[in-house]
Amino acid sequence: MEALINWFETQLADNSIFTLQTLSYYGDGLTTTVQLVFLSLIIGLLLAVPLALGRGSKKAWVRLPIFFYCYVFRGTPLLVQLYLIYYGVVFIEGIQDTWLWVLLEKPFVPALLAFTLNTGAYTTEIFRGAIKSTPRGEIEAARAYGMSWPLMMRRIVLPSAFRRALPAYGNEVIFMLHASAIASVVTIMDLTGAARFVYARFYAPFDAFLFVAAIYLCLTFTIIYFFRHLEKRLLAHLKPAGG
Amino acid sequence: MIDLHGYGPRLFEGALITVELAVLSLILAIVLGLATASAKMSRHWGLRRLGTLYTTLIRGVPDLVLMMLLFFGGQIGINMITDWLYAQFDIDIFINVNEFVAGVITIGLIFGAYMGETFRGAFMAVDDGQIEAGRAYGMRPWLVFRRIRFPQMMRHALPGLSNNWMVLLKTTALVSVIGLSDMVRVASEASKATREPFTFMLIVAAVYLLIASVSEWGFARLQKRYDIGYGEEN
Amino acid sequence: MADTPIPLEVRNITKRFGDTEVLKGLSLQAHKGDVITLIGASGSGKSTFLRCMNLLEQPNAGELIVHGDPIRFKETKHGREPADWNQVVKMRAKLSMVFQSFNLWAHMTLLENVIEAPVHVLGKSRQEAIAHARELLERVGLGERADYYPAQLSGGQQQRGAIARALAMDPEVMLFDEPTSALDPELVGDVLKVMRGLADEGRTMIVVTHEMAFARDVSNQVIYLHQGQVEEAGPPEQVLGNPRSERLKQFLAPKH
Repeated sequence: MEALINWFETQLADNSIFTLQTLSYYGDGLTTTVQLVFLSLIIGLLLAVPLALGRGSKKAWVRLPIFFYCYVFRGTPLLVQLYLIYYGVVFIEGIQDTWLWVLLEKPFVPALLAFTLNTGAYTTEIFRGAIKSTPRGEIEAARAYGMSWPLMMRRIVLPSAFRRALPAYGNEVIFMLHASAIASVVTIMDLTGAARFVYARFYAPFDAFLFVAAIYLCLTFTIIYFFRHLEKRLLAHLKPAGG
Repeated sequence: MIDLHGYGPRLFEGALITVELAVLSLILAIVLGLATASAKMSRHWGLRRLGTLYTTLIRGVPDLVLMMLLFFGGQIGINMITDWLYAQFDIDIFINVNEFVAGVITIGLIFGAYMGETFRGAFMAVDDGQIEAGRAYGMRPWLVFRRIRFPQMMRHALPGLSNNWMVLLKTTALVSVIGLSDMVRVASEASKATREPFTFMLIVAAVYLLIASVSEWGFARLQKRYDIGYGEEN
Repeated sequence: MADTPIPLEVRNITKRFGDTEVLKGLSLQAHKGDVITLIGASGSGKSTFLRCMNLLEQPNAGELIVHGDPIRFKETKHGREPADWNQVVKMRAKLSMVFQSFNLWAHMTLLENVIEAPVHVLGKSRQEAIAHARELLERVGLGERADYYPAQLSGGQQQRGAIARALAMDPEVMLFDEPTSALDPELVGDVLKVMRGLADEGRTMIVVTHEMAFARDVSNQVIYLHQGQVEEAGPPEQVLGNPRSERLKQFLAPKH
């Protein structure tokens, strides 16, 4: 054990890249990445539930705009969406003189907006699929017991749809984590931003990017583990008895 | 008419680069995917582990990070090899990592991992009896693969393949970050120069949607072809 | 008879799955024109035995001699394997198998199924193969269905198509693995009729089956297997008409 610590210390002492200073860049980057991903996922999720319900509406003026939103945001690269929102906001005439500028001056808010709208579109589709695959019998039973539509949605359809959506949503969370790397393109110092900074400073691509890749890998595994655990608990009722 | 401030031709060239990049990456990804699926189903322990390692690592790391690692690191790695060749054997070569090639290799490498999973699932969905009938009639492994396993696998693989292609298409946008003049990069330069982000970004978005729609139509036709002989109850 | 090599001979085949020995030294000789039926309860090893004959299963020990040509084996770390796969491929082309679940290739029409192996394995010309295939399909009563896909056919039609596919190889021996077990009762008759016809024209056949009437009327040798061993063997009138062992008597007793 002691030998290991000694070895590690000499490694740290020998390298000129991973100093406390650069490690703190990575630390700050990690915080930014987690904040960005977490916030966009939460807001996107809240957005997606009503949209998923509206997506299945009989009224065309409710259904079609939601369909269009999903189609556009799922059909174009997130980077294009980010540029559109980032430049779009920055170049609005006179925006720099309003109170909004305090919020929008930093690229964090446009990035958050783009990420939220993007994950909102994907999540809407995931939920819609899950709602659509509700067993017909469950809906008929709810109707037979005189449940109103909102009650049926709240008590029967949505709870089981959320569970069925879980595996696909887990993938979406991982996808968002990875997609968030492009935040660095609009000068946000997220994890990838930190790696690019370290690379530019020391011209050491392997150290800079392999290190950050390892961090992303750990985050990914954490998410996978978390969702597996959640699935096991929430989807237990779908397994055959005794299994 | 929309005023493109003279960016029209460059935008068109950028769109061509996007399509070329996407198609070449797709071909590389399919080849790598088939190899990965075979490795993962191999009876050699080492090959199976290698396949799993590849898919796990690639799918655990953001595309952009992999792209930068390969693009920036690749040049240094190649320089190290050529330096060594020069020092050892007096062979003097200089290989410059071209952004386009780096883009194709990175995207192909990334999606090879995803394709590997798609193909593995599809291969496993092929009924064993179909393969066995081939073997029982004296077909050699390659013949069984070409005539039975592959065409039957494709039917199961196409939905995943089409999905991967749509994601791949959007991933090509990332090459603009490492300096390749695809349509996203042209649009972003034009946006900054003209301060009209909506004009250029919306055009680019529309082109992506167009390519996606055309390929969706193409995949539907392909699916029809590979669905021949299935699901037609008499 | 003596100067023509025996089409198929197996000696002392044993087969283990893990720790359980499912075949405990089985032998069989199929002379030209023989129709040998293998009967026995499920789990008796009769299908595994048949599948060892064209090496779809690798026997752990024993010999396999096809047309006087012994298959060569070698020991590998995965167990015993054929030493020369080319030899196996050639052997398989001489023994064509008809499966319980038909296994017609789903992405090919019936005609394409029948010409596939003759063209790609035997190297026949496409034209010649098609002409032969049409004749065979006509013969099994499927002349009209040549361009149908397997999924568009009934089980009985699929199995007759599969028999045509097997015949297209001009096989020395035909192996039938419970060819009627997956069929609805009313479709069994047509398939058995085709098989009787093949026996009548002197085809060498080895048939795993539950159809006792077929075993009695068509075959010249019946082998009753129990737990991987031959319990009784001989001409049908002896084995089926006058069973000696208690187990076989029970097996043959009418089910309620």
